[in-house]
Amino acid sequence: MQSGILENPSQAKKIKGETMSGRVIVITSGKGGVGKTTTNANIGTALAKAGKKVVMIDTDLGLRNLDLLLGLENRIVYTIVDVVEERCKLKQALVKDKKNPNLCLLAAAQTRDKTAVTEEQLKNICEELKKDFDFILVDCPAGIEQGFQNAVAGASEAIVVTTPEMSAVRDADRIIGLLEAREEIKSYKLLLNRVRPNLIKSNDMMSVEDVVEILSASLIGVIPEDTGIITSTNKGEPIVNDEKSLAGQAYANVARRIIGEDVPFLNLEEDTSIMAKVKKFFSGLMSKEK
Amino acid sequence: MKDNFLTEFYNTIIGFFRQTEKKEEEQKNAKEVACNRLRVVLMQDRTNLTPELQERMRIELVDLLSKYVEMDREALELSFEPVDGQMALMLSIPVLRAREEAEIIATLSEEDLKDEEDITEETHAEEVENLDEEIVLDEEISEEHEEVLQEDSSEELTNESEDKKESEEEIKE
Repeated sequence: MQSGILENPSQAKKIKGETMSGRVIVITSGKGGVGKTTTNANIGTALAKAGKKVVMIDTDLGLRNLDLLLGLENRIVYTIVDVVEERCKLKQALVKDKKNPNLCLLAAAQTRDKTAVTEEQLKNICEELKKDFDFILVDCPAGIEQGFQNAVAGASEAIVVTTPEMSAVRDADRIIGLLEAREEIKSYKLLLNRVRPNLIKSNDMMSVEDVVEILSASLIGVIPEDTGIITSTNKGEPIVNDEKSLAGQAYANVARRIIGEDVPFLNLEEDTSIMAKVKKFFSGLMSKEK
Repeated sequence: MKDNFLTEFYNTIIGFFRQTEKKEEEQKNAKEVACNRLRVVLMQDRTNLTPELQERMRIELVDLLSKYVEMDREALELSFEPVDGQMALMLSIPVLRAREEAEIIATLSEEDLKDEEDITEETHAEEVENLDEEIVLDEEISEEHEEVLQEDSSEELTNESEDKKESEEEIKE
């Protein structure tokens, strides 16, 4: 496994010298509010931290939010619509991240709707970006209409974000059906977000295994529900930058799996039981002191 | 009195435990219920069969199977279930009585006779349908023609009316 890690950067350099051919990954879900944009921001940041050149494309025209999660909302000059309508060059529209120069954002236009960019145009943009970046992450809007079709057009891989709730799983199944019908999508992986180990333990929520079995898709990550997501969104800083956060670690692991490392899944249940043990230990001490 | 009190006490305690047991079962079910409901819904989503179509399929299957075994027409249950990662159509068929061989052959031969008649009828019907389609096509074409014609004629009409007006004016002069 170590040799794998060592091999990767040298390979990247080799490719850099010639022409790079980046991987285009679309992050989609069908249902809104399951954490597509959060996932995009965090995986992108984690990949960039791992030394990869990453560009994120927000295709949610009219409802852009990726800029907020990255804290870049004040730096946007040009959007994807400006590129398409040739008011600027593609490189001019890329907004660099504050911390990581490896990370760029191509923002969506807030004043336009999904018809402002076509599938063909998005495909071309992805092809152009492939030359300069290792990863192109496409943030897909909710729904299965034109916005979805556009976002998927340029991608060859997909991450389907869902939560262990019935409506989200049902929509994910629909999305998987649509992805399977598209020839250009070579593989798709499932990311299970907002998992609550306590509820799963008490059999009140579907478990990770249940969702994987029902959707019969392979898993790329399990992210626990974390209140830290709210504060990180408020600050405009992805939670992967907080190394103590469990959700942050889980996102970092997803990024490593995307690169090709074999990372075991965090055992969320065990973690809670450790917390429980710690609590028990301290409560035991307290009672002794009394 | 004491006995009564003891049995009551015993019953309340047992009842309490039974209730908690039930509650635990219900909690277990929350996840199970979700899984089962989802499986059913997803199977329906994936098949593209509406409830009406499913019911029709059920009735047709009942008709078909009734030739061979006598069964409760209402009790046949249809469901889609995942088996080894593939979708399987599951039938639960409560058989009331096995039919006699002679009975089956009799119904089958009746069917065959009917089928032959049906086939002749069907071919007729198909021909009629084909004719209908052609007619529909013709109608569509003729409609288009008519539209064109109408446009033309309306133009002509306006021309004509203008002409008429002109001629009228001429007459007035």
